Amino acid sequence: MERSSGHTRMLRRGCLLVAAVAAASVVGALPVSAADEVNQERLLNVDKEPGNWLHHHQNYSAHRFSTLKEVNRDNVKNLKVAWTMHLGGIEGGGIWSHGGLEGTPIAENGFLYVTDGWGSVYKIDAHGGRGVLVWKMDPKTDRDWAGAVACCGVDNRGVALWGDLVISHTLDGRLVATNKETGQVAWQRNVADPDKGEVITGAPLIVKNMAITGVAGAEYGIRGWIAATDLATQKEVWRTHTIPGKGEPGSDTWKDSNNAAAAGGGSTWVTGTYDPATDTIIWGIGNPGPDWDNAYRPGDNLYTDSSLALDATTGKIKWHYQHTPNDPYDYDSVAENVLVDIPGPSGPRKLALEADRNGFAYAIDRTTGKFVWGLPFVKKVTWTKGLDAESGKPIEYDPNKPVQTYVASVTPSRTNMETDICPGNMGGKNWPPTAYNPDLKLWYIPVIESCNRIKVEVATPDKLKAREFWTGGGPSQPFKITGSVTAIDVTTGKIAGKMETPFPNLGGILATPDLVFSGQPSGEVMALDAKSLQKLWEFNTGGGVNAPPMTFTVDGKQYVAILVGLGGAWDKWFIDSTPELKKIQPGSMLYVFAL
Amino acid sequence: MMIFNRFPAAVGVLLAIVVALNFSMPTAVYGQSAQAPATDPTNAGKVVFSRANCVGCHKWHGNGGGGYGGDALSLRKTEMTRDQIIETVGCGRPGTGMPFFMRGAYDEVKCHDMNRQDAGAQMPPEGGTFLRPKDIEAVADYVIAHIKGAGEPTYAECVTFFSNTSRVCDVYKAQAPKPDDATASTGKDQ
Repeated sequence: MERSSGHTRMLRRGCLLVAAVAAASVVGALPVSAADEVNQERLLNVDKEPGNWLHHHQNYSAHRFSTLKEVNRDNVKNLKVAWTMHLGGIEGGGIWSHGGLEGTPIAENGFLYVTDGWGSVYKIDAHGGRGVLVWKMDPKTDRDWAGAVACCGVDNRGVALWGDLVISHTLDGRLVATNKETGQVAWQRNVADPDKGEVITGAPLIVKNMAITGVAGAEYGIRGWIAATDLATQKEVWRTHTIPGKGEPGSDTWKDSNNAAAAGGGSTWVTGTYDPATDTIIWGIGNPGPDWDNAYRPGDNLYTDSSLALDATTGKIKWHYQHTPNDPYDYDSVAENVLVDIPGPSGPRKLALEADRNGFAYAIDRTTGKFVWGLPFVKKVTWTKGLDAESGKPIEYDPNKPVQTYVASVTPSRTNMETDICPGNMGGKNWPPTAYNPDLKLWYIPVIESCNRIKVEVATPDKLKAREFWTGGGPSQPFKITGSVTAIDVTTGKIAGKMETPFPNLGGILATPDLVFSGQPSGEVMALDAKSLQKLWEFNTGGGVNAPPMTFTVDGKQYVAILVGLGGAWDKWFIDSTPELKKIQPGSMLYVFAL
Repeated sequence: MMIFNRFPAAVGVLLAIVVALNFSMPTAVYGQSAQAPATDPTNAGKVVFSRANCVGCHKWHGNGGGGYGGDALSLRKTEMTRDQIIETVGCGRPGTGMPFFMRGAYDEVKCHDMNRQDAGAQMPPEGGTFLRPKDIEAVADYVIAHIKGAGEPTYAECVTFFSNTSRVCDVYKAQAPKPDDATASTGKDQ
């Protein structure tokens, strides 16, 4: 139930709370509020509270690994629905007929915090083996304004916690801080501007009292950025553009006379990771624009399609690693970089792992930004013959060539105006997150096994208009698309297993000591054996799974939770590749499982 | 860019169907039509334009454009006649993403002289909602009156479409180009 107390009552509550907080800060800390205050110390040490799930990606390294093992290989077959909750937010807006659910719930001390596609935040009390809605914060997102420039759905991937606040984003560009106790908005700040084609779909990353925000809009001619907001002062600390300004390092990788860089894309719509040892944020950067006419923007187009390492305090770029220079395929590198330490011949190797839309999984030395290994994780790659063993660049890449053609016979270009590419433009892996089991050193990738057809439309400066698509062509879906969960042994850089699925994986992965959880857009939530990837349990939710599973404890009992509601890009743009999914209804539901 | 295929032979057939199905239904069948000024006879068509999700591909301004779904044709630049628009809405466009919105199209009644079997792989998708013949006429009248032949979208036009409930129209307000955060000047708004 939405909290609907009268305004005065809420105000009084607010006053009481303020008084309580003030008292707490004076006398030291009340036990209750101290336990509930989220600070950097707790965010750095989430392993000390395994029953909670405090980060979007579970920890700063994006492992999405829980040590909870009440639910395990031996008993997972007994997993059943404990409770469910209907949420809202499926209304349409802009070019979208309905919203969907892509969020990861956050769990703290028996309470869940989830979002719907329009950015409403729900606090749910999970004590006592049932879910009770404590409050709902509806940010009243301007749906027509934002929905008209959201390329890929009415999406919101979740919240973060800081202090006594719930930190969230809205599609129309706001960073919102909500009082965790009352559900009242404490403050909000405009970070992105839909008038420029910018929207926000990702969850915030909290680093040292800052909320880090990424932006979407590379299909609308934005110039991407990552921004840090001081949560105490509500002021912007830094904003680093992902496309260099004139004269800045990397600006010489935009060699055109169209001023393409000013609308060059480089979005940042998937939450990144943080390495406290070096105070480094690592964030994935999206495609250049226009997507498919790379002759409009000769040069490597830095820092599009790159993993970017930033000094967390200043936002200054430390290193970058670009996967697909001068990309003509829409192969974003927005994916999360998973931070992993593995034993090496001369001490531990500190890696950043990224499963790229271009179909290759990469391990980068996260101290230097140098390539360590890479391999295809999809069954079919046609755009390149492979990666150079030294540099990790596609072997056809020629740094002296202004416009890359890679395997020219399949690559979209002004002389190859209609062509089929594998992976398709949604990529071998899109935003759905990977998971990493540090005991087994296995990294699990939610895979879209795909090809699709690209039609090129030659871009000209006059076609660049505010809030209009800037893509230089478009895809169609003449081929059936399937999926898999693919495991990579991080010690060897080789594929350890692949569990094929009838539909693409649009939800992502949760790893536990001996299990892997995932879902299908046809409705199934499943548990696999962590080593063999054999399916051990499955439940059909009757909706489309488009969000990652997570796990938590309350009253000492382990639960697995997942949001269910097919939305996003798939059922508008890619549905023809999976015609069976046309019958999946829009929905908005939280499922919670337990033994 | 897609090429617009005309189906002159089918137009007559469709017209006949539309006429045949044209019972004496009132034009203003939707409660929402009360929101718009009663003076504009094409308000019912505007409601259909939103309700049938024409905006999903053609956008509110009808210019369509590229993007992830391929090109939706510009209704502002279209040369289609009223009858051709009616046919296209009812029957969709074979071989493209333009859906058909007439109940029974290709099954109970032929479209472009084809049934479902004839259309085969060219069969257009089914619209998310079916429209009655009066609705199809209404949306065609709306397109003719407000979209076809119009130039670039304007602020006034946008506000007429959305009223003042959203910031969606702000971008069309006459104003100097905003200074971008970029040291490079923006190519937008120009």
